[in-house]
Amino acid sequence: MAVHKGRGISAIEYPTGMNQNGDPSQAWIKMKPDGRVDVFSGTADIGNGSKTIQSQIVADTLGVPYDWVTYDNSNTDSSPVCTGTFASRATFVAGMAVKKAAESAKAKLLEIAGKELEIDAADLEVEDGMVTAKGAPQKSISVADVAVAATWTHGELITGTGAHMNPYAAIVDPETGRVDLPPHAAISYAACAAEVEVDDETGHVKVTRLVQCFDVGTAINPTLVEGQIEGGALQGLGLGVLENCYPYYPSVDHRGAQFGSYLAPGMDDLPQVDTLIIENPSAGGPYGAKGIGEMANNPQPPAIAAAVHDAIGVWVTELPITPERVLRALDAKQEPRREGKVVAFDEELSVNVLSDGGMTFEVPA
Amino acid sequence: MKAVGARLPRYDGVAHVTGRTTYVDDVRVPGTLWTKALRSPVDHADITGLDLSKAEKMKGVQAVITWKDVPLLEYGHLSALGIPADEPLLAKENVRYKGQPIALVAAEDEETAQAAVEAIGLDLDEKPALFDVRKAFDADAPKVHDWGNWYPHFEGEMDRRQIRKGSIDEAFEQADLIVQGVYRPAAIEHVPIETQVCQVVPEADGRLTIYSCTQALYFSMGVVAAHLQLPLNKLKFVGGTVGGGFGGKVDTATETMCSLLALKSGRPVKWRWTREEEFLCSSTRAPWHMEIADAVTTDGWILGRKMLTLHDSGAYARFSPYGLTKHSFHHTGAYTIPHLEFDGYVVFTNRVPTTAMRGFGVTSVSFAAETHMSRIALELGLDPFEIRMKNANRKGDTSPNGIAYTDPSTIPTIQAVADELGHELSADYRTATSEPRTGEWLPEHLVGQLGDPEGH
Repeated sequence: MAVHKGRGISAIEYPTGMNQNGDPSQAWIKMKPDGRVDVFSGTADIGNGSKTIQSQIVADTLGVPYDWVTYDNSNTDSSPVCTGTFASRATFVAGMAVKKAAESAKAKLLEIAGKELEIDAADLEVEDGMVTAKGAPQKSISVADVAVAATWTHGELITGTGAHMNPYAAIVDPETGRVDLPPHAAISYAACAAEVEVDDETGHVKVTRLVQCFDVGTAINPTLVEGQIEGGALQGLGLGVLENCYPYYPSVDHRGAQFGSYLAPGMDDLPQVDTLIIENPSAGGPYGAKGIGEMANNPQPPAIAAAVHDAIGVWVTELPITPERVLRALDAKQEPRREGKVVAFDEELSVNVLSDGGMTFEVPA
Repeated sequence: MKAVGARLPRYDGVAHVTGRTTYVDDVRVPGTLWTKALRSPVDHADITGLDLSKAEKMKGVQAVITWKDVPLLEYGHLSALGIPADEPLLAKENVRYKGQPIALVAAEDEETAQAAVEAIGLDLDEKPALFDVRKAFDADAPKVHDWGNWYPHFEGEMDRRQIRKGSIDEAFEQADLIVQGVYRPAAIEHVPIETQVCQVVPEADGRLTIYSCTQALYFSMGVVAAHLQLPLNKLKFVGGTVGGGFGGKVDTATETMCSLLALKSGRPVKWRWTREEEFLCSSTRAPWHMEIADAVTTDGWILGRKMLTLHDSGAYARFSPYGLTKHSFHHTGAYTIPHLEFDGYVVFTNRVPTTAMRGFGVTSVSFAAETHMSRIALELGLDPFEIRMKNANRKGDTSPNGIAYTDPSTIPTIQAVADELGHELSADYRTATSEPRTGEWLPEHLVGQLGDPEGH
């Protein structure tokens, strides 16, 4: 009876945006008479931080301080279409929509500033709330003064709209699955190592450390993206060793209906998490960003399964890797069938055993 | 100061952690009615009788609705993607999972609504249920769905999602080893702190204001408008701040039914699911059944993959055909495998319909493909980092459906993890990059397989 340590790794990829694309987001922006900025976007913030991310993108693109930006996603009367906060699309697709809206508002801002400074708008730039002439920084006007002039002198509204959609990629051949265009807005990548301790008496798997590296394209907000990755790690740990709606799947019996009978991960389960970020910019995303919200819970389960094998020499390939499954696997000590060049694991779980001939999975010997 | 790249605090973080954020359940509207649902108590049955008379006469009951009250009973949420409608908003002739809504009551308080639900007469003729996706294709399997036991409406009216690339037979013939495994990740609950909840207010101007916890305001507004057969100017969705979604709040689980009750009663209506309902009746992440057979060489190249996926969709299709397609596009994981034969089925069972959840379609195959990769490395006695880097996507490698990768990072992410762990890679792998394949990184089986690294 002992506790065994093990380590396993995984490497994954994940698409940004809806599969096959065709998922628009739209935004519009207006400037108040003192230069403060209102952003209207239809993106629900589900904890992914899209209110913050989109405000950051608008601030830099329009050239105003971050705290000048008010973000409103509260209702469909004010805000235009966002397909939704799913498919790791909010930072990229909705981020592009607000970026384009900010570029459009910036053009109007510089047009008014040009009139005030009597300089061609093309020769002006704006940063941190100041419009200046390129190469002649002494010629400048604050964004706040431009907004005043737009409202009271020129009788105009500084506003802009933006929309973004990667075109729909059709499946042109259903036999092969070939598509006519890239079916993703971008692809992100990650690698993960899991370290575990497995008690061979109780079957308990304790995940002690996760080391994870994610390519996020560009970290628009490093704190938030680390939060996504670390929150995802705990959710992936739940997938790996704790959570199951149907403890005796495929049976529907013994479903847990309370937190006491359904084991979601809690802070007690949180291992040491080391987060590494790589920035390999996307070609089409705002400031090179990619979407990593969902994939954050994908690399842990296979790394944990490999770590459990490393620790106790058995594979558990039905998730989650519960104490019961660990103990049953230790009892069975199942070896793969080795025949010719075939090494076949888990045959007892296969359709070849469980189906009465309706479905098979045939592999040459 | 640049905002992009700065560690700025979350826009609404202080409000969240001080309890000052207004979530849907915090909205208070005078005169609001409360809702409870009559749900199927069994997994599979024909409905032979539904008697509302007692419930409708109870004091405090203001509206009862069934399928008869829904202008468009079945609406295909992904009809734009060619996925037809199959799920009635409220059960009509039969129930296909335990917890399926049949009728709803709006009453002056939750206790009265619940008492009225219990006063509804329901007669059922129970039928055998199907739970094991592996048995769904057998002649004697219980029949779950009008379409049969698996989804038949992929492009070209195919009954499965296929990927074909190269020649799997050739790969198996050339292989030194064929490694097979079966992978079965579980159904899990989204477990949002905020259970499904909705408040609908019929306004003086005839519009409906719908306070919603949806992850997709316009998507859910489209769903409600379709079922109610109303133009979008009759609806106003209020939301955008969600108390935990993870994919489960793409379902539009409550908004349409609350709107119908509000229209029928002329009163504001609220429906807040209990934690039990959230666990037992809300959609889940799908359980998946995946079988993989990889053709590999002794020096660690993956020549080919044959794969069978059975996606347990539960009783209706919802987003599952989309999820399976995404799954198929990513079934080689972070690697380049030239010979592929993938068959995937969306299988119906008598369990709660499954839906989107964080990583939809891909979480499953990441588990299967990566656990399989660990097994292959051990079988071959190769370093698990290096075999992954060897087969890793590089610029110009092509995806299962023939699209060139433009900015892969499999190699640098693995190198970073190895560094952090102090795992020593051999010289070739320490210096490997994602640049297009040449030399020893371009084995014979990948010659002629590469696309344009710029993605043109």
